[in-house]
Amino acid sequence: MSVLELENVSYAYEGSSKAVFSDVTLSFEAGKAYAIAGKSGSGKSTLLHLLGGLDVATRGRVSYGGESLADMNRNRYRARNAGIIFQGLNLLTNASALENIVLSMRISGMKGPGLKAKALELLARVGISPEKASRKILKLSGGEQQRIAIARALAHNPDLIAADEPTGNLDKDTEYKILKIFEDLAHKEGKCVIIATHSKRVTAIADEIWTVDKGVFRSVPTKRN
Amino acid sequence: MYAIFNAMKNLVRNLGRNILLASVTLAVIICVSAALAIGNTSEKMIEDTRLQIGSKVSISLDLMATHEQGQGPDNLASIGIEDYLSYGESDYLDKSVFSVQIPMYSSTVFAVDDETKGQKEWQNQDGSVAKAPTLMLVGNSDAETLSEFASGEREILPGGKMPEELNECAISSDLAELNNISVGDPISIQGQSQSAPNYELIVSGIYSDKTAAYASPMYQFQGLVHLGQRNQVIATYDAVMSKGYETDEGIDFQSQYYLKDPRELDKFEAEVRSKGLPRDYSVSINQEELDKVTGPLAGMRGASSTFMAVILSLGGLALALISYLAVKERKYEIGALRAMGMEKAMISLCLLSESVAITIVCLALGLFAGRAVSQPIADSLLAGQVSASQAQSAGGGGKILMANGKTQTSGVNSYTPISEIEVALNAGTMVQIAVLALALALLSGMVGIVSIAKYEPLKILRERG
Repeated sequence: MSVLELENVSYAYEGSSKAVFSDVTLSFEAGKAYAIAGKSGSGKSTLLHLLGGLDVATRGRVSYGGESLADMNRNRYRARNAGIIFQGLNLLTNASALENIVLSMRISGMKGPGLKAKALELLARVGISPEKASRKILKLSGGEQQRIAIARALAHNPDLIAADEPTGNLDKDTEYKILKIFEDLAHKEGKCVIIATHSKRVTAIADEIWTVDKGVFRSVPTKRN
Repeated sequence: MYAIFNAMKNLVRNLGRNILLASVTLAVIICVSAALAIGNTSEKMIEDTRLQIGSKVSISLDLMATHEQGQGPDNLASIGIEDYLSYGESDYLDKSVFSVQIPMYSSTVFAVDDETKGQKEWQNQDGSVAKAPTLMLVGNSDAETLSEFASGEREILPGGKMPEELNECAISSDLAELNNISVGDPISIQGQSQSAPNYELIVSGIYSDKTAAYASPMYQFQGLVHLGQRNQVIATYDAVMSKGYETDEGIDFQSQYYLKDPRELDKFEAEVRSKGLPRDYSVSINQEELDKVTGPLAGMRGASSTFMAVILSLGGLALALISYLAVKERKYEIGALRAMGMEKAMISLCLLSESVAITIVCLALGLFAGRAVSQPIADSLLAGQVSASQAQSAGGGGKILMANGKTQTSGVNSYTPISEIEVALNAGTMVQIAVLALALALLSGMVGIVSIAKYEPLKILRERG
């Protein structure tokens, strides 16, 4: 069942006449992991921004559950329906890891006394101990920060997870664990996971792989298929 | 709720910047507290003084009006002492005070500064030659209204008392020493003309006198020693008038009426007009005296208002600038929050809560510190204003020459400018300070809110990338 759909979507940066991509039509389903592969500057991140409701298409329609994102309250969409893992992480650096997660939960509307315990559980899932959870972000390593960004994206239990190079700073063991989490999110928890990546290990867990080159998306066979 | 909770945490997370904001806010609040406390206290004292002095009504010849009407001195209407006394019988009045001054001469009591020892003569208006006056007999119906005694500039020395009986008087210690007079000694003084009454008085008290020797240096220069402060012979009003004066010819008669309520001036005037007071005379409060007394306070109130306006402008500007820079510095934090889905309104609430929280803390400290610094600042400001007021009035005042050749002394019954103030930070002032402080917090918060309105999350995140 399609969660997200792009219909004849084109995008150009503001003030630029050159489109990053044109007339793209894609469909993303719940319970599947997708990999978007391509060179730097090919438009992978831009696609994720459109899917995550951070930007709107210049032309065409991006819809979530049949409703156009352009007509939706995209703040609410980002807070409740989409979990975005940014390439630049965009964590609140003056807050602790735990505070980042709890704040994300509260922004999504989650309430109650159990949020802190849930946040610690989530952090433990990505390999962050309670001791490290209370540290300020800047006192943690790049790999740890990346895992916290992943945990934050999952904090509000979104239907869609859009991740931009989520394993870039991770060692092999941790990358494996994180990819396992993404795989489980898609296959066991029924989420729609979309990952922009260069990594072949990431593409290995994908149910569908799309390559993008000069604004043209092509489907490629996966190992799974 | 979580937004406010997050804002409180942000106060600690961004401690350095918030300390800077708090420092400026605190400085502004302290200055505003001091300025408002001084300004409001001055205002209240001015109002109290207005009620006090504003109740003092004078009935005097309106020289400006008569001059404009082209009336010469001979055509002026005159009113007798009995008229003045009848005006005092009014239900609108709390009390009436009558004072009289008569230039006198004595062959046995030599005046201070009189080098001729009573030998100087002058020509009267009728052409007759008489001894020049050397002393001034002063009578007052209410000793409490003699301002020099009330202010402590004059003080009865031990062993003496203020005159109470018809044959008693008080003289200055300088006059007493010059003539070797002690309490209980008799003195004899005479009027200038042959027909003028003489007074045989017993000195009931000798007073020290710290007032200026002459109201104007010109009096001393011209040898008008009877206008010297040290040469006054103070008796009761009844004692002076016991010689049967019916008109004010040859004497300086003054009346002061004290209203129960200063707002009833018009009613009192209507009453005295109905009693026959001519239109040539005005019924008025002494605005000049009121201004003189409250002048330093008014000056201080003006200075504190100006100071407050400058502080609020500069402080507001500084806070706005710091807030703008702070939001710029926090652009990425705001971008990250927006990317997480936080609404602009919620971020605005965060920023506003931070500003208000800082302001509330500063308000508590600022009120305390403002109260502590306002008294010394007020004392310093008031001292400057009093000095300026005294410098301005030096050379002025004293005796006013009237159209009929008589003089009016401003030294009797006059008030001195207020030179002390007890600054109070009352509830009303604190509310004003709180309102201004919250306005500053809103300004500071609004600058941030307006700034973030233009930040779209993706734009910020791209810039960061």
